[in-house]
Amino acid sequence: MTAVAPPPDVVQPAGRFSGLLRAEVHRFLARRFIGLLVALAALAGLVGLVIALLYFRSPSSEGIAAARAEIDRVVAEQEQYRQECLRDPSLPAGADPADFCGGPVRAADFSVADFLHPEPFSLAELGTGGAIAVAVACSALAFLVGATFVGAEWSSRSMVSLLFWEPRRGRVLGAKALVVGGASLVLGVVGQVAWLVASQLLQAVAGDDQPLPDGFWGELSGVAGRGVLLTALVGLLGFGLTNLVRNTGAALGVAFVYLVIAENAARGLLPRVQPWLVTENVAALLQPGGMSIVLDWDMPPGANPATWQPEEHLITNLHAGLLLTAVTAVIAGVGIWLFHRRDVS
Amino acid sequence: MPAVEMRAVSKTYRRRRRPPQRALDALDLVVESGGVHGLLGPNGSGKTTMIRVLLGLIRPDSGEVRLLDRPVPASLPAVIGSVGALVETPLFFPGFTGRRNLQLLAETAGVPRARVDQVLEIVDLADRADDRFKGYSLGMKQRLAIAAALLKQPRLLILDEPSNGLDPAGIRDVRELIRRLGDDPAVTVLVSSHLLTEIEQVCSSVTIMTRGRCVAAGPVASVLAGRSSGDVRLRVADRAAAAAVLTGAGFTVSPDADALLVRAVPAPAEITRLLAQSGHYLEELTPVAADLESAFLELTAEPA
Repeated sequence: MTAVAPPPDVVQPAGRFSGLLRAEVHRFLARRFIGLLVALAALAGLVGLVIALLYFRSPSSEGIAAARAEIDRVVAEQEQYRQECLRDPSLPAGADPADFCGGPVRAADFSVADFLHPEPFSLAELGTGGAIAVAVACSALAFLVGATFVGAEWSSRSMVSLLFWEPRRGRVLGAKALVVGGASLVLGVVGQVAWLVASQLLQAVAGDDQPLPDGFWGELSGVAGRGVLLTALVGLLGFGLTNLVRNTGAALGVAFVYLVIAENAARGLLPRVQPWLVTENVAALLQPGGMSIVLDWDMPPGANPATWQPEEHLITNLHAGLLLTAVTAVIAGVGIWLFHRRDVS
Repeated sequence: MPAVEMRAVSKTYRRRRRPPQRALDALDLVVESGGVHGLLGPNGSGKTTMIRVLLGLIRPDSGEVRLLDRPVPASLPAVIGSVGALVETPLFFPGFTGRRNLQLLAETAGVPRARVDQVLEIVDLADRADDRFKGYSLGMKQRLAIAAALLKQPRLLILDEPSNGLDPAGIRDVRELIRRLGDDPAVTVLVSSHLLTEIEQVCSSVTIMTRGRCVAAGPVASVLAGRSSGDVRLRVADRAAAAAVLTGAGFTVSPDADALLVRAVPAPAEITRLLAQSGHYLEELTPVAADLESAFLELTAEPA
């Protein structure tokens, strides 16, 4: 062993927050399990793209003609059923036949793509749905990443080691939360960009010839933006929940029990709490314009079954965004507060 | 200026379905700057709790704590850059190399990367620095932890049971390192241990703790002197006759291998005089020095 360098004469304070943040970024990037998760997700995306390229086919002119003929046949058949319905004498009293039997069926109501085999990829029809699916997948990945990042710190007890270097616990967790939030944000953006590129590729190779509807890009951008927000929030939620229970497995268990058991029980027993459930708000955040849910399927006594409508409630994008932000803030905040208060052993 | 000062510090752990456990009981402790100070006590005596209080990991219920002349935990951030600590098990990422683990800690504290190589050199881990931590032996893990504690060039180095789990060679290396660190007048080393020999070998001063209280403190020599037994061991040609003379004079004598042990002798010259007067000439007269083990056992004995 060699000589030890003499220590400085003055007392040294803790390092700067920027140094702590930089160290946390490096800790995050050096985590092999996180790298493995991201690599597996990228591989799954690639496999999905290959399957989609094999599944979809650009239609031939003969195929389109056959599909249109099939649509005409279906329209004629549906119209025949409608006319029979209108002439039916057993219609409920007071019911409007036009409402009861529906309006005239038109060929424009059908998508040619639905009648093509194999069907072509339709950016107009699948663009938004794909962005939503990618947002959900990225969010699940972000949850795992956020949970495992802080869970590993607790299981290896290096969280305690860090406090020998930076005793301000809020800073320690703040730096970690910033890294998880930033990484989740990047993950969400990369996921949406990847979907955009993949969908353009699919459209070019195996797409239909449908023109994109007005407002398509605005709607897709909105979904993608809210998807990125969701990914960041869920990443922080995974971080906050794991920090609260101080164990990755326990956090995943709590999340599973809540989403699969508690929320389903709440839906069945207390349907009016649905606007405040996480799953409903995740769906409402992603869907353009939010999501309508039925609060009460039970028809009141004496109501006319022909005219009664179940009570619906619209969960707007704003409501969903605020609720999910609040849930994340509360869970992460309680974890940070407890870490600040509790003894660390 | 004391490196560590604790006044009437108490801490009680409240436990579910079990009675509360008082870990620190109005503990008073002062560690003067410089040298190696030992913190000795049986398991459960409150050593680790005391160190955790010093490092702000545990909040005391009452009392005053100062570290490098700053109140803890309020001003801990102002001094933590001068405090290196190894508390119980080394805590590192198992999948990272030793060097990577140290680099991440160095970044946290704003320590230059070159310092990582220096401390790896100091603890003799330079050759294995690029191996994964999980592949290290216990001794290597402990040395890496000491390297981490040294990264900040600390003025106060706190080592909690630094020899735990080490093989004899590792123990020797760590003790040698602690001694060397203690030679630097600018560095204060606080070593907690339940190993009496360790404290005796490396420390210049010692605090003995039991049941959360300090029961003796000061330079090791003073603590031992305060516990001196007054016994003497003597060797003479005719042990039986000499024993009879001393017993007749009121001393308590017992055989001790090829010598005699005389208990509680106020003045050894009296032994010399008595034996010479009766024609027994001493081949050896040695005061039985109190060792730290005796002092420790006496001080930490459970009350009857």
